[in-house]
Amino acid sequence: MGRITVITGRGGAGKSTFVTLFARFINPKSILLIDLDPDGSLAKMLGVDLEKESKLTISDALSNIIAKGKDSKGKDNIPDLLRRMMEEGKIAYRDKKFDLITLGTKFTPGCYCLPDEMIKETIRNIHKNYELILVDSPAGLEHLNRKVTPDIDDLFVVLDPSEKSVKHIERIKYVARGVKISYTHLYLIGNYRFTGETEEYLRNTGETYQGKIDYDPYVREYNLKGRSLLELPEDSPASISVRKILLNAGYQVTCQQAVGR
Amino acid sequence: MARKIVSTGRGGAGKSTFVALMSRYLKPPSLLIDLDPDLSLADMLGIDLAKQGKRTVVEALYDAVKERQRGGSPITPVEDRFKGLIWGDCLYEGKGFDILTLGTKDMEGCYCYPDHLLRKTISQLAKNYTNVVVDSPAGLEHLNRNIISEVDDLFIILDPSEKSLTHIKKVKVILREVGTMYDHFYLVGNYMFDEESEKYFKDAGEIYLGRIDYDKNVEEYNLRGESLHKLPEDSPACRSVRKIIEKARLT
Repeated sequence: MGRITVITGRGGAGKSTFVTLFARFINPKSILLIDLDPDGSLAKMLGVDLEKESKLTISDALSNIIAKGKDSKGKDNIPDLLRRMMEEGKIAYRDKKFDLITLGTKFTPGCYCLPDEMIKETIRNIHKNYELILVDSPAGLEHLNRKVTPDIDDLFVVLDPSEKSVKHIERIKYVARGVKISYTHLYLIGNYRFTGETEEYLRNTGETYQGKIDYDPYVREYNLKGRSLLELPEDSPASISVRKILLNAGYQVTCQQAVGR
Repeated sequence: MARKIVSTGRGGAGKSTFVALMSRYLKPPSLLIDLDPDLSLADMLGIDLAKQGKRTVVEALYDAVKERQRGGSPITPVEDRFKGLIWGDCLYEGKGFDILTLGTKDMEGCYCYPDHLLRKTISQLAKNYTNVVVDSPAGLEHLNRNIISEVDDLFIILDPSEKSLTHIKKVKVILREVGTMYDHFYLVGNYMFDEESEKYFKDAGEIYLGRIDYDKNVEEYNLRGESLHKLPEDSPACRSVRKIIEKARLT
């Protein structure tokens, strides 16, 4: 049974950067990465071009199914058809270290309830096959209301230094309580914009603060150019910070000696 | 009929800051609508809605449903009751602007219903204002709900990353597919832009209106929860937003 780790936070805080480096430095044998953001950029940050690999996003797969359903009488229901596409290898991208499933952008009116429900179902079906399920969330709170992962082991909240962040933590807890999402640990992470002074805010929230991701000029440059963060130097500030955070949270990491705790 | 202005963009780009500052320079009265469940526009304007006794749209909807469950008038549909509550309970009246906030939902499910109700209400509310300014939640999902189907000015606030270019393309496809019309599509660079990134987006094939200069005060005000309406007129962020609004002919 895979450990379920969810990364969330306000927009632009650095969730996907954290997830990418998390996946890179973590040490289990099998990881399933899930990008729940319709504006998904996780694949790009991992240096994966899903189109070139001819992999479908969940949203694309659903619109294919629905388009086909219009011209055939189709006895199969949508979840079954989607599961078949999954088994045929049309959706999950497989890398040496991780598998990747993305929600993708939907171009028809309406919300993401159906695609999210399908991801939820998928996680239920295949989470046994992995040691770690790592979920990258869209910005904001709406995804929590859809309860894609009802039982979370570690919930990491990546924060930016503003008063809104403190309120954001309260709202996460409010929604989680309301829709009954359980989590064993809630961890706060400060993003690259924190200073020693603003870090104090996070230490005094009453939640577990696991440290901050140091400012890293390479990350900015790589993201601007669309270059994979898997190529980020091992000893660059962001790489080191993420490994420290993971160690603090009780994960095993690669290249541990380089961290110098 | 009010001019309909929408500010959207990737998370953390500075959508709410832009709306908060823009509202200083628009011809009053304006109606500001915060569509973000992680609400922050009111905070940025130094307004504590709860203290002012104001409800969010989501709370008003709960109120309307509860009222019915307690045996309120069976003749009035919940939706109509809700409309009444919006006027009376949700609308905060400020100087030169009113503000309406979607609010956070703590029940399972999406924001389709509150958004749908708001969509129906906005067109009626709009009659009373010169401008209706919508501050969007981060990301794309709100666009699929086509809350305002005829937008006058659509501002995309960008951070300097390649992801922003992809974002622009996705926004345009969604708007086309769900049938949202707009007269103007404007790009605005955020405080992290420099000359190099500006060049990048000037060549994006859209109208680039300029960038919001980095402003130490904005960060400080946001951290302290101070209203951005108190930001000095000659501070970098104010000056840039004013210029952008003038270019868009909104002053």
